[in-house]
Amino acid sequence: MNQWIAIGMLGVVGVALPIGMMVASALIRPRVPEQGKTATYESGEVPTGTARIQFNIQYYMVALLFLVFDIETVLIFPWTVIYRSALAEGVSLSKALVPMLVFIGVLVVGLVWAWRNGAVSWVTSPRALRRKTERQQ
Amino acid sequence: MQLPSWAALGPALVLALTALVLLGLDSIDPDSTHSSALAGISALGALSALGLAGWYLLAGTGQASTGGPILLYGDALVVDGMSLFFSVIFASVAAMVIVASYDYLKGRTYQAEFYSLVMLAATGMTLMASSNSLASVFVSLELASLPSYALVAFLKRNEGSVEAGLKYFLIGAVSSAVFAFGISLVYAVTGSLLLSDVASGLVDAGDFVGVAGVGVLLIAGGFAFKTASVPFHFWAPEAYEGAPAPISAFLSSASKAAGFAVAFRVFVEAFPIASVVPMGIDWPLLFAVLAVVTMTLGNFAAATQENVKRMLAYSSIGHAGYALIGLAALSQGGPNGQVMGASMAHLLVYGFMNTGAFLFIALVEHWEVGRTFEDYNGLATKAPVACTAMTVFMFSLAGLPPFGGFLSKYALFYSAVQGGFWWLAAVGAINSALSLFYYSRVVKAMWIEEPSTPFELESKPVGLYVAVMFAAVGTLLLLPGFGPVVETAQTAATALFA
Repeated sequence: MNQWIAIGMLGVVGVALPIGMMVASALIRPRVPEQGKTATYESGEVPTGTARIQFNIQYYMVALLFLVFDIETVLIFPWTVIYRSALAEGVSLSKALVPMLVFIGVLVVGLVWAWRNGAVSWVTSPRALRRKTERQQ
Repeated sequence: MQLPSWAALGPALVLALTALVLLGLDSIDPDSTHSSALAGISALGALSALGLAGWYLLAGTGQASTGGPILLYGDALVVDGMSLFFSVIFASVAAMVIVASYDYLKGRTYQAEFYSLVMLAATGMTLMASSNSLASVFVSLELASLPSYALVAFLKRNEGSVEAGLKYFLIGAVSSAVFAFGISLVYAVTGSLLLSDVASGLVDAGDFVGVAGVGVLLIAGGFAFKTASVPFHFWAPEAYEGAPAPISAFLSSASKAAGFAVAFRVFVEAFPIASVVPMGIDWPLLFAVLAVVTMTLGNFAAATQENVKRMLAYSSIGHAGYALIGLAALSQGGPNGQVMGASMAHLLVYGFMNTGAFLFIALVEHWEVGRTFEDYNGLATKAPVACTAMTVFMFSLAGLPPFGGFLSKYALFYSAVQGGFWWLAAVGAINSALSLFYYSRVVKAMWIEEPSTPFELESKPVGLYVAVMFAAVGTLLLLPGFGPVVETAQTAATALFA
C-alpha cells in the first residue's frame, strides 16, 4: 500500500471533521437572536473610532530593540541545549562560553547606547501636546 | 613569536572594536559632542587597521611563503594575500574619510554615530574580502550595506540626502533579495555554502545545471549592486549626489572595492572556469558584456552632467566597468592571475584618486561655492593648492601618463590584451579617451575660466586639506610605487586561482 494514502486519509479526516461538527451544530442548535450577540465585544466594551489610527512613532524604536533581542534568543536557544553536553565532553570554557559572552556583550553595548540616547524613554511630543490643548480650547 | 591564528583577522577586529568604543563613549556622555576625541579615536582605529593589514601583507601572512591561506571559524573566513590587500584599501580610504569628516561635521549632532557607522561599514567590507562561505558573504555584505544606508541619509534635515538614502535602501533591499535567492539556488544544487564545496558540488550538478546557472546569474546581480555596475547602478548617482561628500567618497571607493573583492573570491573559488564554463555557465562572458555596457554608459552619462558631484558619480560607474575587466578577461589557461591582479591594483589607485576627488567636492561644499561646473570657475585663484590636488585626481582618473591612474589602467588593459581580450581593452581605451573630455572640464573651469561673480573663501579647514593632500600624495607616490603594488596584487590573485 502506498504510504501516501495514509497522509491523504489524514487530510480528508482533518477537513471533514470540523466541517461535519459545524454543520451538525448548525442543524440541531436552538436559535435565540439577541442584541448583545451582535456587539463587537461581548464583554460590553463599546468600540470607539476606527481601527486605522496612527501609532506613536516611539513604538517603532521599542519594536526595533525587541527585534534585536528576539533574534538573539534564536541563537542562544541551540547554544543552551548543547552547552552542558559540550562541557561534559571536555570543550574548554573559553570555547563554549566566551564567544557567547562576546556576542551578548556587543549587543549590550548597543542597548546601553540606545538607552542613554533616549530610545527607551517615553518623551512627550510638543506637537501632540499643542494639538491637545488646541482641541480643548 | 607566532601570533594566534585569530589574530589574522586583526584589521577587522580593530575596526569593530573602534566602533564599539565610540558607541561606549557616546553612552557615557550622550549630550555633548567631543569632535576631536571622536575623530581622533576613529582615525587611530583606521590607521591601526591599516598598519596591521600592511604589516601582515609585507610579512606574507596567509600567503604561499608562510604556509598558505589561514582558514578560520569552520572555514567561514579566510585570510590570504587578497583579503589583506583589500583591507589596506578599505582602511586607508576610511582613514582619509574620517580625517575629512572632522571639518565636514563641524557643528552637527550625532557625530559619534557617524564615526561608528563608518567603522562598522569598514568592518563589514574587511569581512567581505575574507568571506569564504556564501553565508558569511551575505552577512558581511549586509554589515557593510546597512550602515551605508544610514550614512547616506545622515543629513536628515536635507531632502536630497534623505531621498538618496531611501533610494539606496530600496534598491539595496531588492538586490539583497536577488542575491539571497541566488545563494539559495546554488545551495539547492550543490548542498553547501562553503565556496570550495560549492565548486566540487557543481561538478555533479547533472540535470540541475539550469538552476545553478540562474543562481550564478542572481549572485552576479547582487555584486553588481555593490559595485554600482549595470544593471543595478541606478542608485549610484542619486546616492553619491545626496550623501555627505565624505560618505560619497567612502561608498564610491571602499564600498565598490569591497564588492569587487567578494565577487573575485566567490566567482574564482566557487565557480571555477575550468569546470563551470564547459557546463554552459559562461560567467566571464556575462561580465564582459556588463563591463562594456557599464563603462560606456558611465562615461557617456558623465559627459552630459552639469553638476560636478553627479559627474563624478557617473565616472565612478565607468570605473566599475574598467574594474569588471578583472572578472571578464578570464579564460581557461589564460593569464588570469595577471588580469585580476591588475584590476585589484587599479582599485587601490582608484581608492586614492577617487576618494581625493570626492573630498575636494566636500571642501567645495564646505565653502558653499556651488555645485555646477560654472561655480568652479576661477577657484584656483583662491585655493591654488587644493585645486592642484584636484587637477592631479582628474588627470589620474582620466589615465594621463604622469599619474598613478595611468599605470594601473595600462596594466589592466595590457593584461586583458595578453589574455586575448583585445576588444575589451580597446573599448576601455576609447572610453578613457572620452573621459578626458569631462575630467578636463573641471580643470578648465578651475584654472582658465574667470569667475562670473567675485567670491571669497572664508576658511581653510585643516582636516579636509590634510585628507585631500594625503590622497594627492598617495596618487603621485603610486606612480613610482606601482611596481611592488601590482606585483603583490598579482601574486595574491594568482594564489586564488591555484
